[in-house]
Amino acid sequence: MYGLVALGYHITWATSRTMNFSQGHAVMVGAVVAYAVFVGLGWPFPLALVLTLVALAGFGALVERVAVRPFFLRASPAWLLATIAVGIIAENVAQLTFGKDARAFPSPLMRKPIILGSAGFYPQELLVPVVGLLLMGLVQLFYHRTAYGKQLKAVAWNPEAAGLMGINIPRAVMASYALSALLAGVAGVLLAPLLNVSPQMGTIIGLKAFAVAIIGGLSSAPGIVVAGLGYGLVESFTAGYVSTRAREIVGFGLVILVLVVRPWGLLGEKPSRRV
Amino acid sequence: MRRLSRMFTILLAVVLGAAGTVLAQSKEPVKIGLSAAVSGGSAASGEAIKRGLQIAIDEINGKGGVLGGRKLELVIRDDEGNPQKGVTIARELVEREKVAAVFGGLHTTVALAQVPVWQELKVPYMGTWAAGTNVTRNGQTPNYVFRVSANDDYVDRFLSRYAMDALKKGKPGLLLENTPWGQSNEVGLTKWFGEKGVKAVGVERFNWNDPDMSPQLLRLKNAGADLIVLVANAPEGAQVLRSKSKLGWDAAMISHWGISGGRFAELTGDLSEGVTFLQTYTFFGKQNERGQYVLKMLRDKYGVKEPGDVIAPVGTANAYDGLHLVAIAIDQAGSTDGPKVREALENLKGEYKGLIKTYKHPFTAEQHDALTDEDYVMVVWKGGKIVPISMK
Repeated sequence: MYGLVALGYHITWATSRTMNFSQGHAVMVGAVVAYAVFVGLGWPFPLALVLTLVALAGFGALVERVAVRPFFLRASPAWLLATIAVGIIAENVAQLTFGKDARAFPSPLMRKPIILGSAGFYPQELLVPVVGLLLMGLVQLFYHRTAYGKQLKAVAWNPEAAGLMGINIPRAVMASYALSALLAGVAGVLLAPLLNVSPQMGTIIGLKAFAVAIIGGLSSAPGIVVAGLGYGLVESFTAGYVSTRAREIVGFGLVILVLVVRPWGLLGEKPSRRV
Repeated sequence: MRRLSRMFTILLAVVLGAAGTVLAQSKEPVKIGLSAAVSGGSAASGEAIKRGLQIAIDEINGKGGVLGGRKLELVIRDDEGNPQKGVTIARELVEREKVAAVFGGLHTTVALAQVPVWQELKVPYMGTWAAGTNVTRNGQTPNYVFRVSANDDYVDRFLSRYAMDALKKGKPGLLLENTPWGQSNEVGLTKWFGEKGVKAVGVERFNWNDPDMSPQLLRLKNAGADLIVLVANAPEGAQVLRSKSKLGWDAAMISHWGISGGRFAELTGDLSEGVTFLQTYTFFGKQNERGQYVLKMLRDKYGVKEPGDVIAPVGTANAYDGLHLVAIAIDQAGSTDGPKVREALENLKGEYKGLIKTYKHPFTAEQHDALTDEDYVMVVWKGGKIVPISMK
């Protein structure tokens, strides 16, 4: 569940060596927009989904245009603060328009849990990793099999050469932001029935997804997928066998451990030492 | 002669004018503050309290107000359930708005943070919801904190007796929020179950906004709990029910009243069915005169059609009675001066036939809770509405 959001960090990192720190808030925007269209206006779900995705791609592009490009061009790391700021603004706008209440997002997959032995789950909870893995596969295909995907990768390898080859770099970066926000939006729609929709829902998801991205390796999509699943498992085992209160301690402790031992992540590429 | 009459006219004008200002001064409204969460997951509680206060204020103003003709006026501030905000609001209400008394909201955390402010500024505070035991039993003398609401200590005695006597359960598992309010109830429940030789088989906690309570519930289940005693507000209470259904665990559940606050029914759907919890008042069943009046006002002013549509009923009921008691105290004190009103509250003369009960000398210097477990009722969620359970 964190993997999908974490992949968004990887996508923008891979093209531009920048990240959207409002990734978690993009999850929230996805959930809120879907709620507004699906529950608020009562439109059919497929239409609501499409609208949400379009809106999120727009959100991503906007984040890039306002909070990243001005700094990216100057090679300034201020995009870091600027994207965090966008996230906070998004949360406050949501509070003003949507209200601060948590609202229920109806889903047919939440009506009855499937019970196996002494534990059980809602079908919706199964849907999250299934759709997540599927999308991650699609993203990989896009990067490795399509010309545009390869162009995006080229920008990451060597922006100057890519520019000389006729690739529109700002547009490529914008596309990567749109794609990463779109993935977060899908996560938002998938999670809404489980977590309920509220303006505050994004913050912790964004943080944990970032932890996953660090553990898996920012430069490695497969690493992030593995880390996403692993992080979820570690969390639930800690909560189940140790204590719920130890969950966050163990999770973020892992991040520090990885940063110390393998700063490039589990499956990330070790950067060649520059002298 | 003409001159004399002109002088007389001028004199008359001056006298009338002076009388006018005196009258205007005495007619200045008496401000009553409210510090509650009117936004966020518990917004419904704030709205309910506001309605109770406003109905009582309109009723009193309709009969000429207090102190021989001064109208009451409500000043509302949103504390968002945030203790720091609560402290700021407390000062602002007293120092800028010059309120005569302040009513409180749902969050014990906020109420506790505000206690030192009332003590320092010498302004009476009337709790209408937050039930933390040490809000009123705060060790201060003289104590400016009063309450017409539940008190965790009494609630825990009530819940434990209901569990043992009515439900015949002897293996309670406690599931509490990880806050001072949860803490306050852990102490109370342990004490009152312990008095009958019953020990909780497990005590589990969760944080605000936790999405999944399965691990906690699983541990209680494995510990052999035959009853869950829940202390939670609406958003977390909803996740507890979802997790419980996921485990396929059908143990009975009784709850403190936090789950009547937010959009509990919307968040849980069918799962809320049969969850039993405590209230100080219910608008179902036969109503006394006050009950009929309040219901009528709720219908006329807020479009509430039937008792089941009353949102967060305890907030409205507690606030309504609380405001009447404060108004009586102001009249008895003959002033809006904080220390005098506090003293009047502790020595209320006569009786007030209220909504929840008839109050006879409800507060003393030691007892600052007008309601005790003798006044509580047990209710159950049924079809998204709160329905009373007939006791014994």
